[in-house]
Amino acid sequence: MTEPLVVMQGILKDFPGVHALVDCRFELLPGEVHALVGENGAGKSTLMKILGGVYKRDAGVITYKGAPVEIPNVANAQRLGISMVHQELNLMNHLTVAQNIFIGREPRAHGIPLVLDEGGLNDLAAALFERLHLRLDPTRRAGSLTVAGQQMVEIAKALSFNSSVLIMDEPTAALTDTEIDELFRIIRELRGQGVGVVHISHRLQELKQISDRITVMRDGRYIDTIGTADAKIEQIISMMVGRTIFEAVPEVPEKTNPEVVLEVRNLNRGSAIRDVSFSVHRGEIVGIAGLVGAGRTEVARAVFGADPIDSGEIFVHGKKVKISGPIDAVHHGIGYLSEDRKRYGLALGLSVETNIVMASLKRFVSRLGIVRSALTRSAAELQVQNLAIKTPSLNQRVRNLSGGTQQKVVVGKWLTADTEILIFDEPTRGIDVGAKSEIYHLLNALAHEGKAIVMISSDLPEILRMSHRVVVMCEGRVTGELTAAEATQEKIMTFATQREAAA
Amino acid sequence: MKRFLSLAVVVVLAAAACSSGSGTAAPAAKPYISIVSKGFQHQFWQAVKKGAEDEATKENATVNFMGPNTESDVQPQMDMLNAELAKKPAALCFAALDSKAAGPTLQKFKDANIPVIAFDSGVDSDIPLTTVATDNVAAAALAADKMGDKLGGKGKVGVIIHDQTSRTGIDRAKGFVDEMKAKYPNITIIGPQYGGGDLAKSADLAKSMLAANPDINGFFGGNEGSIGGVLNAVTELHLDQTKLTIIGYDSGQKQIDAINSGLEYGAVQQSPIGIGQKCVVYAMKAINGETKFDKVIDTGFLWADKTTINNADVQAVLYK
Amino acid sequence: MSSAPGLPVPAGRTGAMVRSDFLQRFLAFGALIVLILFFQVWCVLIGTNFLTFENFVNILVATAVVGIMALGETFVVITGGIDLSVGTVMTISMVMTAVAITSQHLPVPVGILVGILTGGLMGLANGVLIARFRIAPFIATLGILNVARGLSLVITQTRPIYFPNNPEFQSGVMGNLFGLKISGEFGFPNIAIIMFGAALVAAFMLGKTALGRYTFALGSNEEAARLSGVNVANWKMLVYVVCGLFAGLAGVLSAARLGSAQPATGFGYELSAISAVVIGGTSLSGGEGTILGTIIGAFIVYVLTYGLQFVNVAQEWQIVVTGGVLIAAVYIDNLRRRQRV
Repeated sequence: MTEPLVVMQGILKDFPGVHALVDCRFELLPGEVHALVGENGAGKSTLMKILGGVYKRDAGVITYKGAPVEIPNVANAQRLGISMVHQELNLMNHLTVAQNIFIGREPRAHGIPLVLDEGGLNDLAAALFERLHLRLDPTRRAGSLTVAGQQMVEIAKALSFNSSVLIMDEPTAALTDTEIDELFRIIRELRGQGVGVVHISHRLQELKQISDRITVMRDGRYIDTIGTADAKIEQIISMMVGRTIFEAVPEVPEKTNPEVVLEVRNLNRGSAIRDVSFSVHRGEIVGIAGLVGAGRTEVARAVFGADPIDSGEIFVHGKKVKISGPIDAVHHGIGYLSEDRKRYGLALGLSVETNIVMASLKRFVSRLGIVRSALTRSAAELQVQNLAIKTPSLNQRVRNLSGGTQQKVVVGKWLTADTEILIFDEPTRGIDVGAKSEIYHLLNALAHEGKAIVMISSDLPEILRMSHRVVVMCEGRVTGELTAAEATQEKIMTFATQREAAA
Repeated sequence: MKRFLSLAVVVVLAAAACSSGSGTAAPAAKPYISIVSKGFQHQFWQAVKKGAEDEATKENATVNFMGPNTESDVQPQMDMLNAELAKKPAALCFAALDSKAAGPTLQKFKDANIPVIAFDSGVDSDIPLTTVATDNVAAAALAADKMGDKLGGKGKVGVIIHDQTSRTGIDRAKGFVDEMKAKYPNITIIGPQYGGGDLAKSADLAKSMLAANPDINGFFGGNEGSIGGVLNAVTELHLDQTKLTIIGYDSGQKQIDAINSGLEYGAVQQSPIGIGQKCVVYAMKAINGETKFDKVIDTGFLWADKTTINNADVQAVLYK
Repeated sequence: MSSAPGLPVPAGRTGAMVRSDFLQRFLAFGALIVLILFFQVWCVLIGTNFLTFENFVNILVATAVVGIMALGETFVVITGGIDLSVGTVMTISMVMTAVAITSQHLPVPVGILVGILTGGLMGLANGVLIARFRIAPFIATLGILNVARGLSLVITQTRPIYFPNNPEFQSGVMGNLFGLKISGEFGFPNIAIIMFGAALVAAFMLGKTALGRYTFALGSNEEAARLSGVNVANWKMLVYVVCGLFAGLAGVLSAARLGSAQPATGFGYELSAISAVVIGGTSLSGGEGTILGTIIGAFIVYVLTYGLQFVNVAQEWQIVVTGGVLIAAVYIDNLRRRQRV
């Protein structure tokens, strides 16, 4: 057996209040594609960020090419030959593509220290793109590229290091099938050259296609490493979630009341939203599916009035309404639960009670501007009971609650505001498996009560399991609409990648 | 291009909006006199301005009065001098923030045969034909005399002056302290400390002096802002005003009220209106060809307390 | 390239980008021209002339000190930071130059170097506080503003220091190139030549060197720069040092102009410098900005100040107008930015 490129052993990492990694192991051979899988929050990214020099480990040993190493920072990792494509896009939007790729390694003009050779830089980038068969303009500003384009820049950048170890954290999330094929072609080429590739992904089918071995993590712990050829997807899933059955039964309640509560017609906003129309009935859950950057969140924000629209009409209960800001949206009974709860949905430093009454505080204020605390308390208590919010007290700061509980607090906030239309943007992102099914139950209960629900999700099983109808978006347009009965993963993906005929 | 035009419109409108506040440059017949002062916001300078403008109306001249935002803005004062020089005034009246720094610029006025009249703190240079000012040493000594008499020759007196770099600051501190030491050796002087003529800062200084010396029984404030600070401090601390003798400098509504109410014993009054008036008088003389003046034109000072404040001569120099 | 999976590059998009950069420069420059013409029209209406060489020189001289300060400030603002201390760092540099030349009897060139390095040192203090101790730039530089302001007063015992034995210091900076006189007594002042020279150096640093590249990178996405292996803390410190060096140079020139070190001056200049930077189109949220823009911004500030005085606008109104123009300039720049997205 060849000597491993990387061996990580006994890796421990604590974040404030959380054991992110406990006694983790990982091994990477030269010339292998090693998939790292696990639920959100399992610790995959954290483990790889330790290898990439982003985080420092609290304990454990890393052996690289046979010798123990310290990797205190990213530059150090790069010098060793370890490069990483991060899950979040990490580009400097004001800089050009070439400047982004070679940041920190710019060629110098005539060898003069500090003075940059811009022409040489662009040549280097052009040569790199040539080698990778990418059609990218080195002098274009990174901020002007599409999400997929930015993702390709990140990948090209990681490849430009000619590293021995290449870590890719969900690189395919925003890519189309052809782009993924191209990426896999490059990965196979690298594997042939003896590079060790770590591939983090949620798409298990994809892993079967590209990886040699699979390591499964759960709750910050190492579970097992198996050869891909021997692995069955059900087996991997059961290792990931720690139980054998994934509750695959769709829980689609009957649609009883046909009244249209929310209707959106011909919504347009720049190139992000193009002629989007859809409707939601009372008691219905409409799933909006699509790849990252398809414009789903943009639609939600536009309907909620958080971003201005160029044109389009919104009807609530058949009446045309003008929504020029979130204030109008709340007034018309629309609530938006952002995918980034911590930034947009909650005041983390404030109590559960304050958060719950925040969107409807006006009702709880006496004429002199004094908050009637007895009323806010009972309103908050009602939501805590109804939604089974697990909090020690109403005074608990929201920061100290788990992700799932935080999500419920946001729901409680909108219910207190008598919201009829709820737009959930990635409601289960960053929430552990147990809490997920609670959120699903909650969504079903809300629909049952007659709320109209829009659910944006990148998780196809979630879309399939929850939605009465699925609206699929691609590049700002609605490319398809499916009933629960018609919808399959394959059909959704077809619509989600239905780009406008490229020249 | 549209945006570019809209910027142009905004600029034009903004500037046009202020033209109501502007004077227009002199028609050729009226002599134009530039007055570059040390400030424009304090009531003292506004009184100088009024004196100058009234006199200018009388003598059929145009004056343009200006001063930097703060008394440490040496460089902006220089830019003002340059701009005025470019307008070729008939005469310049000038109160320097820093005489030496202004030297080369004043030389340009001399080279252009523009007569220069110094005022207030004066200009250390032989370019000005004369200096119109208060004798600050003598005026501050008068304040010391009044303080010494009132305290019966013993006690502790806190001294707060506006600054220690300008002529007026130096002279007033020196005038008060020297007179006190010479005539009332049993009075202890705390300070002088310098509050920049700023109300809040001077109030803080007074408070810290009181905290360190609870037995203080007198305060002298060297200009309108300094004494205003002392008055604020005494009011805010609810001190027994009968145990304190407070003497100020210049007037302003606050001091006038304090003197009338008995909170302040009295104040030395310069005549800022007289300074402004005399500036224009001598500038006009210089424009008409006179060159021989006394080196210093003393505009005098008066003592204002509860008993004298309503006298006609005092009322004439008070400003609000 | 037939098998290329990549992303179609719409032709002409880069062209549009170039055009909008051009527009940015044109906008600021156009505003400056409009402003000058506006004053000329006003002057003609009241029977004088604004477009004289004397006024031109006066405006150059008035702009120089704050203009140079604004050069350094541009770097800091592009990183998304702010340096409030440039005004009083200028003051302490001026004071140290005077101490070196007058009290220590060092040669003038050494004194100049001392002044500039003092600025760099204060900049380093800012940089360490911000990059190492992670104090917000607003607070760190506000602290250093006061430290520099206080130290200037302490060192000078609050009195100005003059250069009685070195008249060549003042005459050198305030004189004209080769003593040339272009119109009457007026030539092209050296202080303005120094400003334009400093601007060229700054433009080169920003456009062609690694420092400039990382300045933009920090302002665009600091985390991305860090994840790319850029030593973010060191470069950020260097940016503040550069800003301090320019403030130091401004201090030396100010000392020469005034023939003295004025320990109480300088406070408030930072706001003029920041105004110049912002009017010049540099974004306070970082990632964008040009040196040319800053220089034009500085001229807009001083043409306005000088022009309003020249046409005898009352001082109270001058202040109002200056504030209004700042807001208008930034608002219009925002419109341009929004349009581009």
